[in-house]
Amino acid sequence: MTIASSTQQICFLVLSAGIVIGSLGVVLLENIVYSAFLLGGVFMAVAGLYLLLNASFVAAAQVLVYVGAVNVLILFAIMLVNKKEDLKPIKGLQLRRLLSGGVCAGLLALLIRVDITTTWKLPGPQAIGEQATERIGEHLFTDYLLPFELASVLLLMAMIGAIVLARRDILTNDIGTGESVKPGLIEKANTPLLIDKSSP
Amino acid sequence: MPQMGALIFATQAMAAPEELLNIALNAGAIAPEGAVLLAMLGTLIVDLAGEKAAAKWSPPICYAGLGTALALLAMQWNGPIESSFLGSFLADNLAIAFRAVVALSTLLSLLISWRYAEQSGSPIGEYASILLAATLGAMLLCGATDLVSVFVSLETLSVASYLLAGYMKRDARSSEAALKYLLVGSAAAAVFLYGASLLYGISGTTNLQIIGVALLTSPTPIAALALVFILATVAFKIAAVPFHQWTPDVYEGSPTPVVAFLSVGSKAAGFALAVRLLVGCFSAFDNQWKLLFTVLAVLSMSLGNVVALAQTSMKRMLAYSSIGQAGFVMIGLVCGTEDGFAAMVLYMAAYLFMNLGAFACIILFSIRTGSDRISDYAGLYQKDPLITLGLSLCLLSLGGIPPMLGFFGKIYLFFAGWADQQYLLVIVGLVTSVISIYYYISVIKMMVVKEPQEASEVVKAYPSIQWKTIGLPPLRVALITCVLATAIGGVLSNPLFQWANTAVAGTPLLQEAIALKGTGALG
Repeated sequence: MTIASSTQQICFLVLSAGIVIGSLGVVLLENIVYSAFLLGGVFMAVAGLYLLLNASFVAAAQVLVYVGAVNVLILFAIMLVNKKEDLKPIKGLQLRRLLSGGVCAGLLALLIRVDITTTWKLPGPQAIGEQATERIGEHLFTDYLLPFELASVLLLMAMIGAIVLARRDILTNDIGTGESVKPGLIEKANTPLLIDKSSP
Repeated sequence: MPQMGALIFATQAMAAPEELLNIALNAGAIAPEGAVLLAMLGTLIVDLAGEKAAAKWSPPICYAGLGTALALLAMQWNGPIESSFLGSFLADNLAIAFRAVVALSTLLSLLISWRYAEQSGSPIGEYASILLAATLGAMLLCGATDLVSVFVSLETLSVASYLLAGYMKRDARSSEAALKYLLVGSAAAAVFLYGASLLYGISGTTNLQIIGVALLTSPTPIAALALVFILATVAFKIAAVPFHQWTPDVYEGSPTPVVAFLSVGSKAAGFALAVRLLVGCFSAFDNQWKLLFTVLAVLSMSLGNVVALAQTSMKRMLAYSSIGQAGFVMIGLVCGTEDGFAAMVLYMAAYLFMNLGAFACIILFSIRTGSDRISDYAGLYQKDPLITLGLSLCLLSLGGIPPMLGFFGKIYLFFAGWADQQYLLVIVGLVTSVISIYYYISVIKMMVVKEPQEASEVVKAYPSIQWKTIGLPPLRVALITCVLATAIGGVLSNPLFQWANTAVAGTPLLQEAIALKGTGALG
């Protein structure tokens, strides 16, 4: 084993351990701010894995998009909504946790089994390093042209939708009749069939 | 086919740039989507001039865009089948048929939307443009032949649907519907990505055709895992039981015209995706996915129709009935014969008219009275004969009573299923059809049979009927078109049968599946 390959091995192990422990922390910690910061750490570690695979452009994009944009946005959202609220305790929480843990463990066992029994095509294609950016650009403008262009429509529509959801309503009158309107569904809320007699 | 060779070459190993420039993009195949996109941008631009201008100019722009799209689709019909965008998109007859169903469902939903949107005080220009974006995604999904295109168009459709579901943001029900749809939908998208990454790992490409070839020789466990993941996404999109939990809540909380689009347009795109992925890609696992789909179809038909019996809200009842209807359509997909596919296409087109007709009626009723409770329809016959007649015809057709359009669609599906020896599916279908007739007829009974003094309070205070207000004339046009198509379409259904058969005959993907099945049955 050469120094290069053993260094690579050590880096891989450290990054993978970071990803596993970090993701467990994201899911299990009670404080949501810790979860958000750990998520940022996990994203950074994934970027490190991309670097190990010699895909520097993807690693840079990962850091810019996921750490720089998505994670910061999550943190903003958490800090804007700092409302203390005591949630009602959920019945049978331990049992639910055990059940969902069992389902996840089963899924993990299934994935590991599939992973072991499959004969993967190893080694994979040769990494092309710095030329990758060029190659990605070529793909975006040839065989992935349609999804690339459609993504712009998707982003435009998402932006319009975000503005519509966030802005203050300006319409108070019906355009057709000029009457004042009450924003919301036209259908009134249905009263439940069985009205609870115990409540006053 | 030299082009196909070049294509495979281009997707597997990137050639020199000069060679790539010589490959034809064949971009004319997505001209109809171009028309929809232009209409979307047009509505955005007129919206800048204020709400009054948007209310005046958005409708004609949308009609022009969708009308052009439908005309362009008609021109592509039976045209030469060439892969476009280097294997990302294929405009075969099946794709054209489903894209036409999607575009027509958007056109009809827009016609019935305007009055509803104005009365609830929501901005119209943005509503139309988001709905058109959803249409664009759904239409591209119908013809996408590449995992990346499939995913991006699926997301365009889904994100637009979440936004539309939450469009009445001042109403807690609408926000709840949007949040539930977003969470469940994102989970489904994540599952699809997992399945797609496994498929890419098996084959090293994102092209569905090459993946299909690679799956013939791939090891079973991993391919089966990918199949399960992909199947879950498809079942989520067509709301098959047990992936249906989002449907009733989303349908009840979303604005009703949006529900009309979701129940037809989005579902049609889901079925097109099912054909592309399951029939086209997983032909090596035919027995497995057909078994799974049989289970899903039986569950959808029984649960959808039985739970619909207990509903008191019209929108919720139609939500459960749409789950049951999706189960009927799945019979055609499971058959995999020429008749099965044709019956699926035919039933989808019939379902478009009868379901949108029913939605036009209940929207008109809620615009006039502000209610969607079934018991509030009591005695409506005295006050509003048009809604009564239209809703009765559409519900009878959904139940499959002759001589409506729905009867011929359903009988063709059952015939195809019986011919392919899917006895379980056909018997469950017949029994649940009878159950569905019961709850459809009880609505009709509520409207027609009650004496004037037994009428509900809402109907007793019914406003005088007028059609002058802006937005009501288009609604009337849509209502009458759908009801006429449902009522007369059954008697004159021969062109529709021919159309559905041509759709199957002009699709190489389906022809291959049928030929494969034929040799399998002989050998």
